[in-house]
Amino acid sequence: MVDEEEIIRVAELMKIDLEEHGEHVSRVKKMLEYFDILDQIDLSSEEITAQQKSLNELRKDEFIPNDKKLIESLKNFREHYVRAPKMN
Amino acid sequence: MTKIGLEIHCQLTKLESKLFCSCKANYREFEANHNICPVCMGLPGSLPRLNQKAVESATSIALALTCDTPEKIAFFRKNYFYPDLPKNFQITQLNVYGDMSVGGEGYVSVEDKKIKIRRIQLEEDPGRIIYEGASERTKITLVDYNRAGTPLVEIVTDPDFESPRQVRVFLNILSDLLENLGVAEPGLEGAMRADGNVSIEGGNKVEIKNIGSFHDLEKALHFEITRQQSLFERDIEIAQETRHWDDRRKITVSSRSKEEDQDYRYFLENDIPWVTIDQSTRDRLKENMPESISSKKERYIEKFDIAPQVADIIASDRYYSKLFENAYSDDNAKDIANLITTDVIGFIDTKEKQQNSKITSKHLSDLIDAINSKTITRNSAKVALQEIMKSGKDTKFVLDEMDLGQVSDSSEIDTIISQIFEEEKQAVIDAKERPETVNFLVGKVMQKTKGKADPVKTLELIKSKLNQ
Amino acid sequence: MNLNTSILKYIEDVKSGTFTVEEFTAETLQRIKDVDSDVHAYLSLNDSALNDAKLIDQKISSGEKIGQCYGFPISIKDNICITGTKTTCASKILENFIAPYTATVINRLQDEDAVITGKTNLDEFAMGLTTEFSAFGPTKNPWNLDYVPGGSSGGSAASVAANECLASLGSDTGGSVRNPASFCSVVGLKPTYGLISRYGLISYANSIEQIGPMTKTVKDSAFLLNIIAGQDANDDTTIDNDNVNYLENIEDGIEGKKIGIIKEMTTSEGLSSEVSTATKDAIGDFESLGASCEEVTLPTIPYTVAAYYTITSTEAGSNLARYDNIRYGYELESEGYEYNSYISKSRAKFGPEVTRRIILGGFVPSAGHAGKYFLKALKVKSKLISEINKAFEKFDYLISPTAPVQPFKFGEKIDDPVTLMLLDYNTVTANLTGKPAISVPYRVINGLPIGMQIMANSLNEKSLFQSAYALESKTNLPEVPL
Repeated sequence: MVDEEEIIRVAELMKIDLEEHGEHVSRVKKMLEYFDILDQIDLSSEEITAQQKSLNELRKDEFIPNDKKLIESLKNFREHYVRAPKMN
Repeated sequence: MTKIGLEIHCQLTKLESKLFCSCKANYREFEANHNICPVCMGLPGSLPRLNQKAVESATSIALALTCDTPEKIAFFRKNYFYPDLPKNFQITQLNVYGDMSVGGEGYVSVEDKKIKIRRIQLEEDPGRIIYEGASERTKITLVDYNRAGTPLVEIVTDPDFESPRQVRVFLNILSDLLENLGVAEPGLEGAMRADGNVSIEGGNKVEIKNIGSFHDLEKALHFEITRQQSLFERDIEIAQETRHWDDRRKITVSSRSKEEDQDYRYFLENDIPWVTIDQSTRDRLKENMPESISSKKERYIEKFDIAPQVADIIASDRYYSKLFENAYSDDNAKDIANLITTDVIGFIDTKEKQQNSKITSKHLSDLIDAINSKTITRNSAKVALQEIMKSGKDTKFVLDEMDLGQVSDSSEIDTIISQIFEEEKQAVIDAKERPETVNFLVGKVMQKTKGKADPVKTLELIKSKLNQ
Repeated sequence: MNLNTSILKYIEDVKSGTFTVEEFTAETLQRIKDVDSDVHAYLSLNDSALNDAKLIDQKISSGEKIGQCYGFPISIKDNICITGTKTTCASKILENFIAPYTATVINRLQDEDAVITGKTNLDEFAMGLTTEFSAFGPTKNPWNLDYVPGGSSGGSAASVAANECLASLGSDTGGSVRNPASFCSVVGLKPTYGLISRYGLISYANSIEQIGPMTKTVKDSAFLLNIIAGQDANDDTTIDNDNVNYLENIEDGIEGKKIGIIKEMTTSEGLSSEVSTATKDAIGDFESLGASCEEVTLPTIPYTVAAYYTITSTEAGSNLARYDNIRYGYELESEGYEYNSYISKSRAKFGPEVTRRIILGGFVPSAGHAGKYFLKALKVKSKLISEINKAFEKFDYLISPTAPVQPFKFGEKIDDPVTLMLLDYNTVTANLTGKPAISVPYRVINGLPIGMQIMANSLNEKSLFQSAYALESKTNLPEVPL
């Protein structure tokens, strides 16, 4: 059984404010309960794989200056620096 | 028993570009936020493009530290929110699906002890937060993303160190090694950083983070050991925790954010395929790797009979060893080594001076040839060196221009000796009575010839004149 | 002027001087003006479309070298970046985001002189299959405005079906091209993973998604793929396709080919009787074309939807973490806020489905739960790949209906998360395995379309198009009643 408290705690870690969003918790819970189907399949012989590429196909080490104006097209930018909220 | 482990981060500043984009790896020359692009700023729709040479450099480090290097490497996302992290995850490496970070187990010999390397991983540096004034009062966090994406190698050791001093020796060896490999410049501010973990007999492990320099690391370790010992003596449990080094107060402080509770949700970074590094590539990297400092030193001592202190100085500095290696022939190696350690070092003792100096290996060979063929004196060589470093002009040209050619014509020296004998009558008498004071007269001749007179011949001539 | 024309016919007409690029573009823009207030396929229009068309006409009349596209109008899903224009992902959080760079696929289209009409609607961040989760209101199905157009590339599919352009680019993470293609009766291709560059596509679940063409005909799909496929230095996951010409030999037919009918997808509980009947008809058509059909079972399929949602929410939780409103986003002064509360407040702009997927994405790969969910999902993916590779040793194609049901009414399924997830049942397999799959318009029953899905082995798009073209030639579908 999935604990609703835990869903709320995870939401907080994901920087999602769940106040007034009770239905999210129940829907997430329903989805998680559906995922229980994964307990029914034998996966003991499976290994995790991924796409592969050889080293020499990678990007060559070259400095290519980017448009210096990029920063100005972003927001919260003042006097060279990006302004983020204060840390606690 | 005290146990200390390290996590060292070293930027690969010798690379041209960042780990996943073409911005400059060494961000230091830029105005804030002017070394960024959509990729390192994590803009929506951008994708990382792994730098081939970064993988090679990191693999070279792994090989130099005798680490296992896998055939396949993978990248992972470490997910957490922080203002210096443009994507709010860091691309790093992890060994969960087998050993897939650039380096596995290896070791470094520190004095008589083997320090085990647990793993080496390649990852991106975050941006930089600029702290202005007291942090309690600032209303805003200023961020510069120039550093974001700089290639960083993390080296993790086992808790094999027994003292902060051992840590210092290890870090010196490691930074020499990294510099010698030509992949990093540990001397650059912020280019090499280390976090430590400390435990004492019967206590929990405490991580220390936020240490600015190696010097501070040693202080932080000392502080932490003392702190833990005093808790232990008072029978207070040492909590397993992460502490931060407070540079202002020179103490470690328990971190408010509970890093142990952090769940980084590591999973594969699928925008970067697993990279296969075949055996021939690893062999090539190994072959191209510069000789290690210790084997270089040994070779100098054994092959050329160079004094250990001299060999040590030359072998551990890339600049001097390059000058030396390119200048020596089997018969003049020892002379060149001595010339470097007695004279060259005196003139170029900083990295900056090394960079500006115009001296080449050929200059050194030519100077030694000139000394050995008695064309110039050792003294004149020193004068010439100074000029060569500035102008880079050909040795012979400098010697001629400065009129440094040795005076070895007997009649010429004789004439000068006669003059000196006139001027220094008392000294001549002294020398006759006490032969050991003859050097004063030799010195006078040298003075008069600006060091150009052949000192051996001069002494001979003076002695024969005294006996007349 | 007939706007219901294929790209290939359009090019012929422009070349022969039947109409100019400007005339056709103007007519298309007029059509958008006439019908889009009802359909709502577009989120924004390209103001310079007509001007772009004029420039191409000038090129043609001056005899200058002209790109393959001859200015045909194409719409772009609004999660693909074009420099200087808004790319919203149908999300409030990117409502004002102007990309400072252009996606590779767009560069390739523009290099070949395509005219971009505008950006099309989608479920927010491509999460959904009805467009009901767009922050800017749903797109309507041109076949019946009371019905959903499918999703998440619903705006793209509707814009093609309603003759508001000749083609569109969508993106397909779990069926987001094929599902709306099926619902709107257009051709939708999800190519082999890595065939088309994702540079400039805003990531939802980057390990399995691909951009895909949505067109009126199979040949147009092949034509578009010729232009946009191939390796890209900006995307390390792209693969070399040897510059295959997908149009070449497209009419070769499927005589003697072996077709596997995926049992799990043709006998599932959720399959409607209309779709089931249509599927039987399609099997008959394939056999009449000279192919042999046989049922095949892929026993891992019942677990794929759970695996798919586990993997996609994990990746989404990470891919969408960057939307913290600090470097880009909407105006909200950072001074006076503490970091965490600022981000949480900013992220309240995410719509409900995205919010839920982010929470799921925090849950299923977390240290305490990865073993139960995420790692299992990855292993389901591995198992499915082995199974399907084995099937492709025997079969040239694997077929099923694209969606288990026909389009449904707005609001009908949005309240039940599990029902919604199961609509992806037939499409996620191609994403999880990286195989190419195409949805071909096959029937219109009770005024609502049904599409058939054909899958082929990796990089076998050329053969896939041959089968799709053969099936298409067996159909005779009505025109859209709009």
